[in-house]
Amino acid sequence: MSNRPSALLSATFWEPGYEHLVESVHQRDPEAARHLASLDVAIHDEQGKELASLPQDRASEIVDLDRIVRDVAGTEHRVMVLFDARYDERIFPYRPHHYAYLHRRGSTAPALYYAVNAVLGGVPDRIGAARLNNFETYVFRASPFAERYSVLLGNVARFSPAEPEVTLYYERDRETRTVTLGPKTHVELDLPAEREGQRLRRLEVKSVFRLATYVVGRRAASGDLVLFDHLFTYFK
Amino acid sequence: MANAVRALARSLLGVIRVPTYYLPWIARPGLECTLVLSNVEARFKPDSRRGPYTLAVEQYDADGAVVRRHELTLRDATDVVELPLVPAAGGYGLVTVSGERLYSDLYVTVSDGESYCVTHGRGEWIERYPAPARLAHAAVGGVLALAGRTVPAFTRHQYAYAGTDSRSHLLVLNLSNVTNRVRVTATREGTDAPTRVLAIPPLGARLLDVGALVGAGGETRVWRLHLAANAWFNFYLVGTGPRDLAGPVSLMHVK
Repeated sequence: MSNRPSALLSATFWEPGYEHLVESVHQRDPEAARHLASLDVAIHDEQGKELASLPQDRASEIVDLDRIVRDVAGTEHRVMVLFDARYDERIFPYRPHHYAYLHRRGSTAPALYYAVNAVLGGVPDRIGAARLNNFETYVFRASPFAERYSVLLGNVARFSPAEPEVTLYYERDRETRTVTLGPKTHVELDLPAEREGQRLRRLEVKSVFRLATYVVGRRAASGDLVLFDHLFTYFK
Repeated sequence: MANAVRALARSLLGVIRVPTYYLPWIARPGLECTLVLSNVEARFKPDSRRGPYTLAVEQYDADGAVVRRHELTLRDATDVVELPLVPAAGGYGLVTVSGERLYSDLYVTVSDGESYCVTHGRGEWIERYPAPARLAHAAVGGVLALAGRTVPAFTRHQYAYAGTDSRSHLLVLNLSNVTNRVRVTATREGTDAPTRVLAIPPLGARLLDVGALVGAGGETRVWRLHLAANAWFNFYLVGTGPRDLAGPVSLMHVK
Protein backbone atom coordinates (compact mmCIF):
# COMPACT_ATOMS: atom_id res chain seq x y z
CA MET A 1 0.00 0.00 0.00
CA SER A 2 1.29 3.42 -0.93
CA ASN A 3 1.85 5.92 1.89
CA ARG A 4 0.19 8.54 -0.30
CA PRO A 5 -3.25 7.13 -1.03
CA SER A 6 -5.46 8.77 -3.62
CA ALA A 7 -8.92 9.97 -2.70
CA LEU A 8 -12.27 9.70 -4.38
CA LEU A 9 -15.32 11.53 -3.06
CA SER A 10 -18.60 10.29 -4.51
CA ALA A 11 -22.17 11.21 -3.71
CA THR A 12 -25.62 9.76 -3.99
CA PHE A 13 -29.04 10.30 -2.46
CA TRP A 14 -30.98 7.97 -0.22
CA GLU A 15 -34.74 7.81 0.05
CA PRO A 16 -36.67 5.46 2.34
CA GLY A 17 -38.26 2.28 1.03
CA TYR A 18 -35.59 1.28 -1.45
CA GLU A 19 -33.14 -1.55 -1.58
CA HIS A 20 -29.99 0.44 -2.21
CA LEU A 21 -26.78 -1.54 -2.50
CA VAL A 22 -23.59 0.34 -3.30
CA GLU A 23 -20.52 -1.44 -4.62
CA SER A 24 -17.53 -0.18 -2.66
CA VAL A 25 -15.47 -1.04 -5.74
CA HIS A 26 -16.96 -1.48 -9.18
CA GLN A 27 -15.23 -4.66 -10.19
CA ARG A 28 -12.56 -4.42 -12.82
CA ASP A 29 -9.66 -6.00 -11.10
CA PRO A 30 -8.71 -9.44 -9.86
CA GLU A 31 -10.44 -10.31 -6.64
CA ALA A 32 -7.30 -10.31 -4.55
CA ALA A 33 -6.49 -6.69 -5.28
CA ARG A 34 -9.86 -5.09 -4.86
CA HIS A 35 -9.68 -3.65 -1.37
CA LEU A 36 -9.74 0.03 -0.61
CA ALA A 37 -7.46 1.60 1.96
CA SER A 38 -10.53 3.05 3.66
CA LEU A 39 -14.13 3.99 2.98
CA ASP A 40 -16.05 6.50 5.10
CA VAL A 41 -19.72 7.29 4.61
CA ALA A 42 -21.12 10.68 5.65
CA ILE A 43 -24.83 11.44 5.73
CA HIS A 44 -26.18 14.97 5.31
CA ASP A 45 -29.70 16.33 5.46
CA GLU A 46 -31.08 18.83 2.97
CA GLN A 47 -29.74 21.77 5.00
CA GLY A 48 -26.26 20.29 5.04
CA LYS A 49 -26.21 19.12 8.64
CA GLU A 50 -24.08 16.03 9.11
CA LEU A 51 -26.27 13.34 10.59
CA ALA A 52 -23.56 10.72 10.84
CA SER A 53 -20.09 9.74 9.71
CA LEU A 54 -19.66 6.00 9.46
CA PRO A 55 -16.37 4.27 8.65
CA GLN A 56 -16.98 1.12 6.66
CA ASP A 57 -15.19 -2.17 6.74
CA ARG A 58 -12.62 -1.63 4.00
CA ALA A 59 -12.88 -5.22 2.86
CA SER A 60 -16.65 -5.05 2.51
CA GLU A 61 -17.66 -5.29 -1.12
CA ILE A 62 -21.22 -4.01 -0.79
CA VAL A 63 -22.56 -1.18 1.34
CA ASP A 64 -26.21 -1.76 2.23
CA LEU A 65 -27.12 1.90 2.17
CA ASP A 66 -30.64 1.51 3.45
CA ARG A 67 -29.47 -0.48 6.43
CA ILE A 68 -26.94 2.11 7.54
CA VAL A 69 -28.97 5.22 6.71
CA ARG A 70 -32.58 4.58 7.64
CA ASP A 71 -32.18 4.93 11.41
CA VAL A 72 -29.85 7.89 11.09
CA ALA A 73 -32.17 9.65 8.64
CA GLY A 74 -35.14 9.53 10.99
CA THR A 75 -38.01 11.40 9.37
CA GLU A 76 -35.94 12.84 6.52
CA HIS A 77 -37.47 12.01 3.14
CA ARG A 78 -34.08 12.19 1.46
CA VAL A 79 -30.45 12.58 2.50
CA MET A 80 -27.22 13.07 0.63
CA VAL A 81 -24.67 10.33 1.21
CA LEU A 82 -20.97 10.93 0.60
CA PHE A 83 -18.45 8.16 0.06
CA ASP A 84 -14.89 9.10 0.90
CA ALA A 85 -12.73 6.33 -0.55
CA ARG A 86 -8.97 6.20 -0.17
CA TYR A 87 -7.13 3.90 -2.48
CA ASP A 88 -3.79 2.97 -3.94
CA GLU A 89 -3.34 4.06 -7.54
CA ARG A 90 -1.25 0.98 -8.20
CA ILE A 91 -4.28 -1.14 -7.39
CA PHE A 92 -6.82 1.12 -9.04
CA PRO A 93 -4.93 2.85 -11.86
CA TYR A 94 -8.07 4.64 -12.99
CA ARG A 95 -10.24 4.87 -9.88
CA PRO A 96 -12.29 2.39 -7.90
CA HIS A 97 -15.71 3.75 -8.88
CA HIS A 98 -18.89 2.96 -7.05
CA TYR A 99 -21.94 1.61 -8.81
CA ALA A 100 -25.24 0.89 -7.10
CA TYR A 101 -28.35 -1.24 -7.32
CA LEU A 102 -31.64 0.47 -6.55
CA HIS A 103 -35.16 -0.91 -6.32
CA ARG A 104 -38.20 0.18 -4.35
CA ARG A 105 -39.50 -2.67 -2.22
CA GLY A 106 -42.80 -3.98 -3.53
CA SER A 107 -42.61 -1.92 -6.73
CA THR A 108 -43.39 -3.39 -10.12
CA ALA A 109 -40.72 -1.12 -11.61
CA PRO A 110 -37.47 -2.69 -12.77
CA ALA A 111 -34.37 -2.47 -10.64
CA LEU A 112 -32.04 0.36 -11.55
CA TYR A 113 -28.27 0.18 -11.66
CA TYR A 114 -26.34 3.40 -11.74
CA ALA A 115 -22.90 4.95 -11.52
CA VAL A 116 -22.49 6.89 -8.29
CA ASN A 117 -21.40 10.45 -9.05
CA ALA A 118 -17.67 10.89 -8.64
CA VAL A 119 -17.51 14.47 -7.44
CA LEU A 120 -14.00 15.14 -6.23
CA GLY A 121 -10.68 13.36 -6.25
CA GLY A 122 -9.53 10.45 -8.28
CA VAL A 123 -7.29 11.02 -11.23
CA PRO A 124 -7.92 14.69 -12.00
CA ASP A 125 -7.90 14.64 -15.77
CA ARG A 126 -10.29 11.72 -15.90
CA ILE A 127 -12.87 12.61 -13.33
CA GLY A 128 -14.27 15.85 -14.64
CA ALA A 129 -13.10 18.04 -11.79
CA ALA A 130 -9.88 19.46 -13.16
CA ARG A 131 -11.29 22.78 -14.32
CA LEU A 132 -13.38 25.29 -12.53
CA ASN A 133 -16.20 25.53 -15.05
CA ASN A 134 -18.45 22.55 -15.04
CA PHE A 135 -21.09 22.12 -17.65
CA GLU A 136 -23.41 19.13 -17.83
CA THR A 137 -26.29 18.19 -20.06
CA TYR A 138 -29.10 15.64 -20.41
CA VAL A 139 -31.46 14.94 -23.28
CA PHE A 140 -35.07 13.81 -22.78
CA ARG A 141 -37.42 11.79 -24.94
CA ALA A 142 -39.89 13.90 -26.88
CA SER A 143 -42.89 11.66 -26.23
CA PRO A 144 -45.07 12.18 -23.15
CA PHE A 145 -44.74 9.53 -20.44
CA ALA A 146 -46.55 9.05 -17.14
CA GLU A 147 -43.42 10.20 -15.40
CA ARG A 148 -42.28 13.18 -13.33
CA TYR A 149 -38.78 14.49 -13.87
CA SER A 150 -36.46 16.34 -11.55
CA VAL A 151 -32.80 17.00 -11.01
CA LEU A 152 -31.03 16.39 -7.72
CA LEU A 153 -28.19 18.80 -6.98
CA GLY A 154 -25.80 18.45 -4.06
CA ASN A 155 -22.87 20.61 -3.03
CA VAL A 156 -20.21 18.44 -1.47
CA ALA A 157 -17.80 21.33 -0.80
CA ARG A 158 -16.70 21.82 2.78
CA PHE A 159 -16.77 25.60 2.85
CA SER A 160 -17.84 27.08 -0.46
CA PRO A 161 -21.42 27.74 -1.51
CA ALA A 162 -22.39 27.06 -5.12
CA GLU A 163 -24.82 28.83 -7.40
CA PRO A 164 -25.54 26.39 -10.19
CA GLU A 165 -27.49 27.64 -13.17
CA VAL A 166 -30.07 25.14 -14.36
CA THR A 167 -31.51 25.68 -17.84
CA LEU A 168 -34.51 23.76 -19.15
CA TYR A 169 -34.77 23.72 -22.93
CA TYR A 170 -38.23 23.23 -24.34
CA GLU A 171 -39.01 22.92 -28.03
CA ARG A 172 -38.72 26.66 -28.62
CA ASP A 173 -38.36 28.32 -25.24
CA ARG A 174 -35.99 27.99 -22.38
CA GLU A 175 -36.14 28.65 -18.67
CA THR A 176 -33.13 29.31 -16.47
CA ARG A 177 -33.11 28.96 -12.71
CA THR A 178 -30.28 29.80 -10.35
CA VAL A 179 -30.05 27.90 -7.11
CA THR A 180 -27.96 28.69 -4.07
CA LEU A 181 -26.51 25.65 -2.38
CA GLY A 182 -24.57 25.98 0.85
CA PRO A 183 -21.84 23.51 1.72
CA LYS A 184 -23.18 19.95 1.98
CA THR A 185 -26.72 21.03 1.14
CA HIS A 186 -28.85 19.57 -1.61
CA VAL A 187 -32.08 20.23 -3.42
CA GLU A 188 -34.44 18.47 -5.81
CA LEU A 189 -35.70 20.71 -8.59
CA ASP A 190 -38.82 19.71 -10.46
CA LEU A 191 -38.47 19.69 -14.24
CA PRO A 192 -41.91 20.17 -15.78
CA ALA A 193 -42.10 17.81 -18.75
CA GLU A 194 -44.27 20.27 -20.64
CA ARG A 195 -44.54 24.03 -20.72
CA GLU A 196 -47.07 25.90 -22.81
CA GLY A 197 -47.51 22.87 -25.01
CA GLN A 198 -43.79 22.37 -25.53
CA ARG A 199 -42.00 19.25 -24.40
CA LEU A 200 -38.87 19.36 -22.27
CA ARG A 201 -36.02 18.30 -24.52
CA ARG A 202 -32.82 19.12 -22.74
CA LEU A 203 -31.35 20.12 -19.40
CA GLU A 204 -28.11 21.93 -18.71
CA VAL A 205 -26.44 22.51 -15.38
CA LYS A 206 -23.59 25.01 -15.12
CA SER A 207 -21.56 25.54 -11.98
CA VAL A 208 -18.12 26.74 -11.01
CA PHE A 209 -17.20 23.34 -9.63
CA ARG A 210 -18.53 19.85 -9.85
CA LEU A 211 -21.73 19.05 -8.00
CA ALA A 212 -23.49 15.81 -7.29
CA THR A 213 -26.10 15.73 -10.06
CA TYR A 214 -28.68 13.13 -10.96
CA VAL A 215 -31.59 13.30 -13.36
CA VAL A 216 -34.54 11.59 -11.75
CA GLY A 217 -37.70 10.11 -13.25
CA ARG A 218 -40.56 8.91 -11.07
CA ARG A 219 -43.69 7.10 -12.04
CA ALA A 220 -46.44 9.70 -11.90
CA ALA A 221 -48.87 7.50 -9.97
CA SER A 222 -46.60 5.84 -7.41
CA GLY A 223 -43.50 8.01 -7.31
CA ASP A 224 -41.31 4.95 -7.82
CA LEU A 225 -37.91 5.80 -9.25
CA VAL A 226 -37.63 4.65 -12.83
CA LEU A 227 -34.74 6.90 -13.85
CA PHE A 228 -31.71 7.82 -11.76
CA ASP A 229 -28.95 8.83 -14.07
CA HIS A 230 -25.86 10.96 -14.32
CA LEU A 231 -25.66 13.91 -16.68
CA PHE A 232 -22.95 14.30 -19.31
CA THR A 233 -20.07 16.65 -18.71
CA TYR A 234 -18.92 18.97 -21.48
CA PHE A 235 -15.98 20.71 -19.89
CA LYS A 236 -13.76 18.76 -17.64
CA MET B 1 1.78 -7.38 -18.17
CA ALA B 2 -1.47 -8.95 -19.33
CA ASN B 3 -2.07 -5.96 -21.60
CA ALA B 4 1.38 -6.35 -23.13
CA VAL B 5 0.78 -10.05 -23.77
CA ARG B 6 -2.58 -9.30 -25.36
CA ALA B 7 -1.07 -6.59 -27.54
CA LEU B 8 1.64 -8.99 -28.67
CA ALA B 9 -0.95 -11.69 -29.39
CA ARG B 10 -3.04 -9.25 -31.42
CA SER B 11 0.00 -8.26 -33.39
CA LEU B 12 0.94 -11.88 -34.10
CA LEU B 13 -2.61 -12.79 -35.08
CA GLY B 14 -3.03 -9.72 -37.27
CA VAL B 15 -6.00 -8.40 -35.33
CA ILE B 16 -7.27 -4.99 -36.31
CA ARG B 17 -9.23 -2.88 -33.87
CA VAL B 18 -11.79 -0.79 -35.71
CA PRO B 19 -12.94 2.21 -33.64
CA THR B 20 -16.68 1.81 -33.19
CA TYR B 21 -19.42 3.49 -31.20
CA TYR B 22 -21.95 0.92 -30.09
CA LEU B 23 -25.03 0.61 -27.92
CA PRO B 24 -27.12 -2.32 -26.80
CA TRP B 25 -30.77 -2.76 -27.69
CA ILE B 26 -33.52 -4.87 -26.19
CA ALA B 27 -37.12 -5.07 -27.39
CA ARG B 28 -39.69 -7.46 -25.99
CA PRO B 29 -43.47 -7.64 -26.24
CA GLY B 30 -44.75 -4.46 -24.64
CA LEU B 31 -41.33 -2.81 -24.67
CA GLU B 32 -40.01 -0.49 -27.32
CA CYS B 33 -36.41 0.50 -27.77
CA THR B 34 -35.43 3.88 -29.21
CA LEU B 35 -32.11 5.54 -29.89
CA VAL B 36 -31.77 9.20 -28.99
CA LEU B 37 -29.13 10.72 -31.23
CA SER B 38 -27.61 14.16 -30.94
CA ASN B 39 -24.29 15.91 -31.26
CA VAL B 40 -24.82 18.59 -28.68
CA GLU B 41 -21.19 18.69 -27.61
CA ALA B 42 -20.20 19.80 -31.11
CA ARG B 43 -21.25 23.31 -30.08
CA PHE B 44 -17.98 23.57 -28.23
CA LYS B 45 -15.75 22.38 -31.05
CA PRO B 46 -14.66 25.31 -33.20
CA ASP B 47 -14.42 23.24 -36.37
CA SER B 48 -17.78 21.58 -35.97
CA ARG B 49 -20.28 24.18 -34.89
CA ARG B 50 -22.58 24.23 -37.85
CA GLY B 51 -23.55 20.81 -39.00
CA PRO B 52 -25.35 19.09 -40.56
CA TYR B 53 -24.04 15.76 -39.26
CA THR B 54 -24.71 12.55 -41.11
CA LEU B 55 -24.98 9.38 -39.07
CA ALA B 56 -25.08 5.76 -40.17
CA VAL B 57 -26.79 3.28 -37.87
CA GLU B 58 -26.58 -0.50 -38.15
CA GLN B 59 -28.74 -2.73 -35.99
CA TYR B 60 -27.56 -6.30 -35.40
CA ASP B 61 -29.70 -9.12 -34.06
CA ALA B 62 -28.67 -11.59 -31.39
CA ASP B 63 -26.87 -13.74 -33.96
CA GLY B 64 -24.94 -10.83 -35.40
CA ALA B 65 -26.92 -10.38 -38.62
CA VAL B 66 -27.62 -6.83 -39.76
CA VAL B 67 -31.37 -6.39 -39.56
CA ARG B 68 -31.67 -2.72 -40.40
CA ARG B 69 -29.51 0.11 -41.69
CA HIS B 70 -30.40 3.76 -41.30
CA GLU B 71 -28.85 6.95 -42.53
CA LEU B 72 -29.99 10.11 -40.86
CA THR B 73 -28.98 13.70 -40.49
CA LEU B 74 -28.76 15.96 -37.49
CA ARG B 75 -29.44 19.47 -38.75
CA ASP B 76 -27.18 21.12 -36.21
CA ALA B 77 -25.61 20.65 -32.80
CA THR B 78 -28.88 21.00 -30.92
CA ASP B 79 -30.95 18.75 -33.16
CA VAL B 80 -32.11 15.50 -31.55
CA VAL B 81 -33.38 12.55 -33.58
CA GLU B 82 -35.22 9.61 -32.05
CA LEU B 83 -34.83 6.37 -33.94
CA PRO B 84 -37.11 3.47 -32.98
CA LEU B 85 -35.40 0.11 -33.36
CA VAL B 86 -37.19 -2.89 -34.80
CA PRO B 87 -37.70 -6.05 -32.76
CA ALA B 88 -35.52 -8.73 -34.35
CA ALA B 89 -34.31 -12.26 -33.77
CA GLY B 90 -33.49 -12.88 -30.15
CA GLY B 91 -35.10 -9.64 -28.99
CA TYR B 92 -31.78 -7.96 -28.29
CA GLY B 93 -28.44 -7.17 -29.86
CA LEU B 94 -26.13 -4.29 -30.55
CA VAL B 95 -26.28 -1.16 -32.66
CA THR B 96 -23.38 0.71 -34.14
CA VAL B 97 -23.41 4.41 -34.96
CA SER B 98 -20.84 6.10 -37.13
CA GLY B 99 -20.42 9.61 -38.37
CA GLU B 100 -17.79 12.26 -38.77
CA ARG B 101 -17.40 14.91 -36.11
CA LEU B 102 -19.60 13.02 -33.69
CA TYR B 103 -18.63 14.11 -30.18
CA SER B 104 -21.59 13.34 -27.97
CA ASP B 105 -22.49 10.18 -26.19
CA LEU B 106 -25.63 8.66 -27.63
CA TYR B 107 -28.53 7.22 -25.71
CA VAL B 108 -30.62 4.10 -25.94
CA THR B 109 -33.98 4.08 -24.19
CA VAL B 110 -36.33 1.25 -23.25
CA SER B 111 -39.96 2.03 -22.54
CA ASP B 112 -43.09 0.19 -21.53
CA GLY B 113 -45.15 3.16 -22.72
CA GLU B 114 -45.56 4.63 -19.23
CA SER B 115 -41.98 5.41 -18.40
CA TYR B 116 -38.57 4.90 -19.89
CA CYS B 117 -35.05 4.20 -18.79
CA VAL B 118 -31.93 5.24 -20.59
CA THR B 119 -28.26 4.53 -20.83
CA HIS B 120 -25.46 5.55 -23.14
CA GLY B 121 -23.25 3.74 -25.57
CA ARG B 122 -19.53 3.23 -25.68
CA GLY B 123 -16.87 4.52 -28.04
CA GLU B 124 -14.57 1.51 -28.19
CA TRP B 125 -13.67 -0.80 -31.06
CA ILE B 126 -14.57 -4.03 -32.79
CA GLU B 127 -11.83 -6.60 -33.22
CA ARG B 128 -11.36 -7.92 -36.75
CA TYR B 129 -9.46 -11.20 -36.94
CA PRO B 130 -8.04 -12.38 -40.30
CA ALA B 131 -9.16 -15.74 -41.68
CA PRO B 132 -6.33 -17.87 -40.21
CA ALA B 133 -6.92 -16.42 -36.75
CA ARG B 134 -10.65 -17.05 -37.09
CA LEU B 135 -9.94 -20.68 -37.93
CA ALA B 136 -7.62 -20.98 -34.94
CA HIS B 137 -10.28 -19.51 -32.67
CA ALA B 138 -12.87 -21.91 -34.02
CA ALA B 139 -10.63 -24.96 -33.58
CA VAL B 140 -9.17 -24.19 -30.16
CA GLY B 141 -12.37 -22.62 -28.83
CA GLY B 142 -14.48 -25.54 -30.00
CA VAL B 143 -12.28 -28.08 -28.23
CA LEU B 144 -12.12 -26.06 -25.00
CA ALA B 145 -15.87 -25.53 -25.07
CA LEU B 146 -16.36 -29.29 -24.88
CA ALA B 147 -14.74 -29.11 -21.47
CA GLY B 148 -16.68 -26.00 -20.48
CA ARG B 149 -13.65 -23.74 -20.92
CA THR B 150 -12.57 -20.88 -23.15
CA VAL B 151 -9.38 -19.06 -24.04
CA PRO B 152 -9.30 -16.42 -21.28
CA ALA B 153 -7.93 -13.60 -23.42
CA PHE B 154 -10.20 -11.04 -21.76
CA THR B 155 -11.76 -11.10 -18.33
CA ARG B 156 -14.29 -8.92 -16.58
CA HIS B 157 -15.76 -8.88 -13.14
CA GLN B 158 -19.25 -7.74 -12.26
CA TYR B 159 -21.70 -7.95 -9.40
CA ALA B 160 -25.15 -9.31 -10.18
CA TYR B 161 -28.22 -9.04 -7.98
CA ALA B 162 -30.94 -11.65 -7.69
CA GLY B 163 -34.04 -11.80 -5.52
CA THR B 164 -37.75 -12.43 -5.73
CA ASP B 165 -38.73 -8.81 -6.42
CA SER B 166 -35.92 -7.72 -8.67
CA ARG B 167 -32.72 -8.85 -10.27
CA SER B 168 -30.09 -7.97 -12.83
CA HIS B 169 -29.22 -9.84 -16.00
CA LEU B 170 -26.29 -9.35 -18.32
CA LEU B 171 -26.64 -8.48 -21.98
CA VAL B 172 -23.29 -9.71 -23.28
CA LEU B 173 -22.07 -8.25 -26.58
CA ASN B 174 -19.50 -9.92 -28.80
CA LEU B 175 -17.40 -7.09 -30.21
CA SER B 176 -15.41 -9.17 -32.64
CA ASN B 177 -15.78 -11.09 -35.89
CA VAL B 178 -15.07 -14.48 -34.30
CA THR B 179 -17.34 -16.68 -32.27
CA ASN B 180 -16.78 -15.52 -28.74
CA ARG B 181 -17.06 -18.11 -26.02
CA VAL B 182 -17.69 -16.29 -22.77
CA ARG B 183 -17.30 -18.41 -19.68
CA VAL B 184 -19.31 -17.13 -16.73
CA THR B 185 -18.79 -18.19 -13.15
CA ALA B 186 -20.84 -16.89 -10.24
CA THR B 187 -19.82 -17.08 -6.59
CA ARG B 188 -20.96 -15.74 -3.25
CA GLU B 189 -19.68 -16.52 0.22
CA GLY B 190 -18.23 -19.86 -0.69
CA THR B 191 -21.11 -20.87 -2.95
CA ASP B 192 -20.42 -21.58 -6.60
CA ALA B 193 -23.20 -21.52 -9.15
CA PRO B 194 -22.91 -23.77 -12.21
CA THR B 195 -20.52 -22.44 -14.83
CA ARG B 196 -22.02 -21.32 -18.11
CA VAL B 197 -20.31 -20.87 -21.47
CA LEU B 198 -22.07 -18.50 -23.86
CA ALA B 199 -21.12 -19.06 -27.50
CA ILE B 200 -21.84 -15.73 -29.13
CA PRO B 201 -21.66 -15.37 -32.92
CA PRO B 202 -19.64 -12.50 -34.41
CA LEU B 203 -21.26 -9.18 -33.48
CA GLY B 204 -23.99 -11.11 -31.75
CA ALA B 205 -25.30 -10.92 -28.22
CA ARG B 206 -26.64 -13.17 -25.49
CA LEU B 207 -28.79 -12.36 -22.50
CA LEU B 208 -27.43 -14.12 -19.43
CA ASP B 209 -30.35 -14.91 -17.16
CA VAL B 210 -28.70 -14.45 -13.80
CA GLY B 211 -31.77 -15.68 -11.93
CA ALA B 212 -31.65 -18.96 -13.81
CA LEU B 213 -27.93 -19.24 -13.13
CA VAL B 214 -27.89 -18.55 -9.40
CA GLY B 215 -31.53 -18.86 -8.32
CA ALA B 216 -33.65 -15.85 -7.51
CA GLY B 217 -35.87 -16.66 -4.56
CA GLY B 218 -36.04 -14.71 -1.31
CA GLU B 219 -34.22 -11.50 -0.50
CA THR B 220 -31.83 -9.89 -2.93
CA ARG B 221 -28.45 -11.56 -2.94
CA VAL B 222 -25.29 -10.21 -4.47
CA TRP B 223 -23.20 -12.50 -6.65
CA ARG B 224 -19.73 -11.99 -8.02
CA LEU B 225 -19.55 -12.78 -11.68
CA HIS B 226 -16.32 -13.54 -13.46
CA LEU B 227 -16.44 -13.51 -17.23
CA ALA B 228 -13.62 -14.77 -19.43
CA ALA B 229 -13.71 -14.70 -23.22
CA ASN B 230 -11.50 -15.45 -26.19
CA ALA B 231 -12.19 -12.10 -27.91
CA TRP B 232 -13.19 -8.57 -27.04
CA PHE B 233 -16.60 -8.22 -25.41
CA ASN B 234 -18.60 -5.99 -23.15
CA PHE B 235 -21.94 -6.15 -21.41
CA TYR B 236 -24.79 -4.05 -20.07
CA LEU B 237 -26.90 -4.77 -17.04
CA VAL B 238 -30.60 -5.40 -17.62
CA GLY B 239 -32.64 -4.70 -14.50
CA THR B 240 -36.00 -6.34 -13.93
CA GLY B 241 -38.80 -6.22 -11.38
CA PRO B 242 -41.09 -8.91 -9.96
CA ARG B 243 -42.23 -10.00 -13.43
CA ASP B 244 -38.61 -10.49 -14.44
CA LEU B 245 -38.11 -10.33 -18.21
CA ALA B 246 -41.87 -10.41 -18.83
CA GLY B 247 -42.17 -6.94 -17.28
CA PRO B 248 -40.49 -3.57 -17.79
CA VAL B 249 -36.70 -3.56 -17.83
CA SER B 250 -33.93 -1.07 -17.25
CA LEU B 251 -30.64 -0.96 -19.08
CA MET B 252 -27.34 0.30 -17.73
CA HIS B 253 -23.73 0.52 -18.75
CA VAL B 254 -20.85 -0.72 -16.65
CA LYS B 255 -17.35 0.68 -16.52
